[in-house]
Amino acid sequence: MELNITFAGLTSQFLVGLSRAMILFIVSSGLSFILGVLRVPNVAHGSLYMIGAFTAHSIAVAGGGAAGFWLAIFIAPLVVALLSLVAERLLFCHLYEREHLMLLLFTFALMLILGDLTKMTWGADYRSLVAPAFLQGSVPVLGTPFPKYNLFLLGVGPLVAVGLWLFSSKTKIGKIARAAAVDREMVGAIGINVSWVFAFAFVLGCFLAGLGGALVSPTLSITLGMDHTIIIEAFLIVTIGGLGNMWGAMAGSLIFGVSQSIGVLLWPQFAIVFPYMAVVIILTLKPTGLLKSVW
Amino acid sequence: MKKARVLGAWTVLFAGLFAVAALLPPVPAEARDIKIGIVDTYSGPAAVFGNDALNGFKLAVDEINKQGVLGGKIVFTTRDEQFKVDIGLNMAKELVLKENVDVLVGTINSGASMAISEAVAKKEKVPFIVWTAKSENITGKAGHRYVFSTAENTAMVGKSAAVAFAQKPYKKFWIAGDDYEYGHAIADAVWRNLSKIKPDAEIIGKTWWKPGEPDLIPYLTAIQAAKPDCIIFATGGLSMANVLKAMKTTGMENKIPVWIHTATDHSVLKPLGMNAPEGVMGTIQYHYYYPDLAANKKFVKDFQAAYGNPPGFPAFNAYTTAQFIAEGFRKAGTIDKEKFIDAVEGLKVDTPVGKVEMRACDHQAVYPMFLGTTKISKEFGGAIATDIITLRGAEVMPSCEEIAEARKQK
Repeated sequence: MELNITFAGLTSQFLVGLSRAMILFIVSSGLSFILGVLRVPNVAHGSLYMIGAFTAHSIAVAGGGAAGFWLAIFIAPLVVALLSLVAERLLFCHLYEREHLMLLLFTFALMLILGDLTKMTWGADYRSLVAPAFLQGSVPVLGTPFPKYNLFLLGVGPLVAVGLWLFSSKTKIGKIARAAAVDREMVGAIGINVSWVFAFAFVLGCFLAGLGGALVSPTLSITLGMDHTIIIEAFLIVTIGGLGNMWGAMAGSLIFGVSQSIGVLLWPQFAIVFPYMAVVIILTLKPTGLLKSVW
Repeated sequence: MKKARVLGAWTVLFAGLFAVAALLPPVPAEARDIKIGIVDTYSGPAAVFGNDALNGFKLAVDEINKQGVLGGKIVFTTRDEQFKVDIGLNMAKELVLKENVDVLVGTINSGASMAISEAVAKKEKVPFIVWTAKSENITGKAGHRYVFSTAENTAMVGKSAAVAFAQKPYKKFWIAGDDYEYGHAIADAVWRNLSKIKPDAEIIGKTWWKPGEPDLIPYLTAIQAAKPDCIIFATGGLSMANVLKAMKTTGMENKIPVWIHTATDHSVLKPLGMNAPEGVMGTIQYHYYYPDLAANKKFVKDFQAAYGNPPGFPAFNAYTTAQFIAEGFRKAGTIDKEKFIDAVEGLKVDTPVGKVEMRACDHQAVYPMFLGTTKISKEFGGAIATDIITLRGAEVMPSCEEIAEARKQK
């Protein structure tokens, strides 16, 4: 089999990888944020992504047409955020002081419960969310067809990144959350209600999971089991990027997404291994991740 | 004297009891329920097929139990294998060793089916009927006395696909699919048959992704860039819907001809609605709207009434499986595993699409294959298969000699 790779093919494949990385970034930055501020390895993060996708579908169907789609993209993450607020106030807020193994087991159990609840609520059938007409199909990029919706994702990803950066470096609550990530006792000692800061951080992280789930929907079928795939990828990304570091999540997502899409082009039979190979190489060279970990 | 009187009273009592017993209808020695153990996937993306099969089985069992089998009923218990080989294997063992099931049925995962066939059915001598998994190895080279298949298999599918390709001008093929037993089995079967019919056909590339890979767009854009004449997607339910969706997103639809087994299945096409890709070639052994027989209409109507949606191919397979179980035990006349196997060999049962035979030489149900192309239908509110060509089971199945040869080689 001969390799027949053109510059145009490589570019389009690189862009597809980048757009995939945007979804990975949105989801994993939420996971990373929760890890950084709350020290909770939230295995149920993927379930919230799945619920975001299912909710988006239900809203889009109820709304109908293009309006339904935009409504879904905006409201589904808020629904997930609301759900996570309930979970935080009822369950998580009592557990922050526990050791990591216990938290891992707890969130794993929560993942199974949310998975079953999703099945009970929406059933096992496949669902498909349709993007508005102007985002369907493809446009030629350097002569090769490129999906329009992926171009849209390429625009949304940086917006979310900039929004997150502005939030965490320019707003008061963002600064407090970052401070709590570094030294939570000190933050509490100077009279800040850490409990609500934590609740806010948790809800924001989960909002991002829901947003990722809503945004990814038009590119795939919404099914049970979406949670498992994404959570493994998100944890790998957060690990190679540096635990709790938002820019690390961005770097990790780019490496993961692009190495996968380029791998598909270079060696399609073994494309599966490329992103994992990248993870192994990075962790061998830099066991703490690419950027500074807050742990 | 007193003792004698007591003895006399007892004698009279016993005589009376025997008389009453003689008047009652005779009870068969083994009037008990037939226990079926089902191992299938009820969680994750493949649950849609597991549930469909279970519904088809339930519908059949409810009908069968009105009459009963050998004085008892068919009862069943289910286990969720979660699409994992090791879990499926453990559950099958548990059903046989602890629940003492008479027959095992399931699963959708070809890998799990092969493992259960070898390590449970063959070892514990329990009949195992595979109803959704499609690897031809199940009843082919890895087949044995205790395993049956009521699913169409990859050998039948491969032959059907090759027949379809033979009529088209394609030469450069790309194979892409799920990196596990089913994906490879179906790709091998298509290629084996195609290279025989069309010696100048060539594979210009292959792509394998992990089963259930959610985002197939990077894979499809890469394949598209290589410009093959036709793509053979060796993918099942897990990635099927994603492939169809990604075809639409990348604009591949109508540009590169595509063939996927079960692409014409309604559980895959329904969620896509009017946005399903058109012109996709697919093969399948059951459509709820084709063939237009009275028995099929009744089955669809009953199924729809019970579960709110029309039956898919797993429901049809499972319905057929239940008929084989009931008729097999009726013919055997006793709940005995060995006699059941003898009875099922060569047995013909009534199904919604007519008589289906369980071939004696390899324990494979003989189904016709329907070759179709997706087309949007306003009446159905989505895509359906059109221009359906029917290939008879005998045309597409490997011969008994080929099966014997394959088993010898193993």
